[in-house]
Amino acid sequence: MTPDFAQSYVYVVALAIVGVGFVFATLGISRLLQLRHPYAEKLSPYECGVEPLIGDSWSPFSVRYYIYALLFVIFDVEAVFVYPWALIFRSLGKTGFAEMMIFIAVLLFGLLYAWAKGALEWQ
Amino acid sequence: MSNAIISLITVFGVLVVALSVSAGLIWLERRLLALWQDRYGPNRVGPFGLLQVLADMIKILSKEDWVPPFADAAVFVIAPAVIIVPVLLTFAVITYAPGVAVADLNVGLLFFLAMSSLTVYGVVLAGWASDSKYSLLGSMRAAAQMLSYEVFMSLSLMGVVMLAGSFDLKNIVEAQKGLWYAVPQFSGMLIFLTAGIAETRRLPFDLPEAEGELVAGFHAEYSGMKFALFFVEEYLGITLISVLISVLFLGGWEGPLLPPLAWLAVKTLFFICFFILLRATFPRPRYDQLMSFGWKVMLPLALANLVVTGGILLAVR
Amino acid sequence: MVAVRNDTDLLAAVRKRFGAAGFGGQDVKGGPPVIWAPAEKLPSLMRYLKGEADRTFPMLFNLTAVDERLRSHRQGQPKGDFSLAYHLFSLDRVEDICVKTALKGGSPSAESIVDVWPAAGWYEREAWDMFGIRFNGHPHLRRILMPPTWEGHPLRKEHPARATEMAPYRLPEAREEKEEQALKFRPEDWGISRRHDDTDFLFLNVGPQHPGTHGLLRIVLQLDGEVIIDAVPDIGYHHRGAEKMGERQTWHTYIPYTDRIDYLGGVLNNLPYVMAVERLAGVEVPERAQAIRVMLSELFRIASHLVWYGTFAQDVGTLSPVFYMFTDRERIFDIIAAICGDRMHPNWFRIGGVADDLPRGWDRLVREFLAWLPPRLREYDRIVMQNRIFKARTVGVGAYSLAEAVEWGVTGPGLRACGLEWDLRKKRPYSGYENFEFDIPTAAAGDCYDRAVVRVAEIRQSLKIVKQCLENMPPGPYKADHPLATTPPKQGTLDDIETLITHFLQIGWGPVIPPGEATAAVEAAKGINSYYLISDGGSGPYRLRIRTPSFPHLQMIPFISRGAMIPDLLAILGSIDYVLADVDR
Repeated sequence: MTPDFAQSYVYVVALAIVGVGFVFATLGISRLLQLRHPYAEKLSPYECGVEPLIGDSWSPFSVRYYIYALLFVIFDVEAVFVYPWALIFRSLGKTGFAEMMIFIAVLLFGLLYAWAKGALEWQ
Repeated sequence: MSNAIISLITVFGVLVVALSVSAGLIWLERRLLALWQDRYGPNRVGPFGLLQVLADMIKILSKEDWVPPFADAAVFVIAPAVIIVPVLLTFAVITYAPGVAVADLNVGLLFFLAMSSLTVYGVVLAGWASDSKYSLLGSMRAAAQMLSYEVFMSLSLMGVVMLAGSFDLKNIVEAQKGLWYAVPQFSGMLIFLTAGIAETRRLPFDLPEAEGELVAGFHAEYSGMKFALFFVEEYLGITLISVLISVLFLGGWEGPLLPPLAWLAVKTLFFICFFILLRATFPRPRYDQLMSFGWKVMLPLALANLVVTGGILLAVR
Repeated sequence: MVAVRNDTDLLAAVRKRFGAAGFGGQDVKGGPPVIWAPAEKLPSLMRYLKGEADRTFPMLFNLTAVDERLRSHRQGQPKGDFSLAYHLFSLDRVEDICVKTALKGGSPSAESIVDVWPAAGWYEREAWDMFGIRFNGHPHLRRILMPPTWEGHPLRKEHPARATEMAPYRLPEAREEKEEQALKFRPEDWGISRRHDDTDFLFLNVGPQHPGTHGLLRIVLQLDGEVIIDAVPDIGYHHRGAEKMGERQTWHTYIPYTDRIDYLGGVLNNLPYVMAVERLAGVEVPERAQAIRVMLSELFRIASHLVWYGTFAQDVGTLSPVFYMFTDRERIFDIIAAICGDRMHPNWFRIGGVADDLPRGWDRLVREFLAWLPPRLREYDRIVMQNRIFKARTVGVGAYSLAEAVEWGVTGPGLRACGLEWDLRKKRPYSGYENFEFDIPTAAAGDCYDRAVVRVAEIRQSLKIVKQCLENMPPGPYKADHPLATTPPKQGTLDDIETLITHFLQIGWGPVIPPGEATAAVEAAKGINSYYLISDGGSGPYRLRIRTPSFPHLQMIPFISRGAMIPDLLAILGSIDYVLADVDR
């Protein structure tokens, strides 16, 4: 039995279409069923029941969150190289393992560097 | 052609089953939490309150579901779809029992990792499109948390891949015939479970919503059916992670006496209850503590797991 | 009862330092000795009393004002339309003093003492809000309890006391818009900048409608990411004018209003009020009544701490304990309801005693509860106090030192968490607390976790006191045999007309309390709760001041939350253990 992978993806796409269809169908049904009663207070964003304070939420925001995003990009892209290695690990033997050890050591060093630089702290 | 029809039926079957299971979970969680919290929970609508879900569904369908004028309307509407579809799609690549799968992909595990990355977009877009400060804070937290925990979620699964030599979930289950990977990959399982909790944003890692702090976080501005979609996604996520743990570490459908599907269901249900128990038990760490834990403890641990697994495999061979 | 004498030594020292002119004393019937001082000398006198005198008073305990314009019994006091009263405390010597000053005219003003005591900030704003007294040099003298759009100053005698004296309330759209605009926060008003270098700060309302604020409290946060740069609490959403109501209630009919100040504290609010009235009236409370009061107070302390315990756990994310603790609290309410007939608002203490004797079988209920709670407390230790995430969230968070606690007027568990073994029940026993054996739990670090440690230990000490009440409940009457004790005994009313008339007047008007001033304080669940009463010889108070612990504790929020993160703020709020009704009154 050789699964036809191309055909498999057709079903995945089919499920995607059905899933999107489900989302918008429920939204549509809800639109038909719901009662609408808009009034002025609903027009402002939720900020604990009083008018929002100065400043848009679409404004420059603390860089702290993005540092984690940067770290993620570095580590996740590197992790991608681990996937194929793990798959054919058995056939690569000792050399393959040693090579990956070096790679992981580099990764770890990167992590330690970020750690030492304080990129993992909030303050 | 008959194959195609069966698969198409499975497509709808997966959708219906996944959604009903997550609806059932809402009831289960409320009852279990109530049990552990010394109270009754829903017990009035139908036998054991089972029809409560139905009642809630009717209620939420008829609730005003509006798009705030200050929000980015298009993104605001699309976000719930972006968050729920990838989770649904992952259900497609899981082999539930021999022959029961929508699509038997040889890269099933990678597909799951890819889809779980996509969920982040839904959360971030929802928070950003809302143009509300609590939502923004929630989505910022979500982005950082889900990205960070994804790094070692994928690394924690590489041990399993090394043992099975395949990304195909069916092959991984079959490779566990002798010994469930929960034994050789115990630390891998713990890391994956931790990451799974963070990815589904459940307590103790529910910081993007953090009711007591950010009120509802990234979905604070959502109401009616759109809110319900986030809600359903949360339970779909729990189910997904529970199924995956069962498949990857507990031998999937393998087990004596009971039919394969039942075994998978039992294992999955166990982890679902574990998720709920966590919610009944734990406080919520602070955001920076969560991040430090991920990067300073879990990531090195995942790497160590990789190295040790590889070393032992080589030595044994 | 012996009236409180003047503190002649201190008065002499003050006169020596500042000159005799304008300084004087006053006899009061209970509470701290009084020194009258001229208004212009206030800041320097305060500085002297805080740090330079032989006997210093490092804590500003209370600051309030009195509208004197309609008061008839003021013999020996300096003339003035308003007076200010500053209640200072020395915890070390367990000694306090009240400095008063007379202000003249319809729009009086005094020098601010904010730079002497930061804790004066809110008190002076309150005096401005309620009496229209200006404090020169106060950095943010604006309304604190009333809405910013309010006209008039409510505690002035000419201000209407009931809704029927005012035009019907309407809220047309234009006015609603105006009120909304008035609530807008302008950082410049508080000396807060909108941006710094290349950072735009995020300003966020936490409250009034927020699950973590435990009621209607608004805190405006200036944020850099999730780090709190500054915080501005906005209170008054729960203000009901309890002090103003006191001025049109009789001495007796005000008791139920006190229940609703710290609504988790029940009779702990009744106690300081009736104690102050008893001091004014010179009533001695019989032993049994005192023991009943102690037992109910301690039960309410446990109930209040249990609510705090559960909600604090919930504030850091543990969802379950609150349900267990409310179950325990129901047990307490079963006892309270059996004795008092009501649960949260028992309204049970009376002038001269309590409303009725203990019912048959009360001891069984109490005994059952004493057996019930301790094992549960041990379980809570494991699921809350020993949880590692809980510790990570609370240890080292929201810490203040003992000196800072004194500076800001912190009392109760928040003070004891800084390491000072100071409990009013021990230091200045009232209602027979000297007869009970119990310890004062303390901790050292003064952070959120230590405040929790102290409260949890206090629950056990309170159980100990309740147990002693159970075993040694003294026999005897539950109310004093005194003409001013309320309500008067009914027996004999059908036999002779005099008793009937007295009873009739006492019930109809309530007792007429002789003119004078008295203060009484108790160690309530959240800190020291104190009532300052002025009688002008009528059937109700001329002025009634409630000094609550939550008010100064909340004032400290900006001070202890700067540099913390948003989740820390919620932990801090939870660890303070306040009730908004106790803040706003």
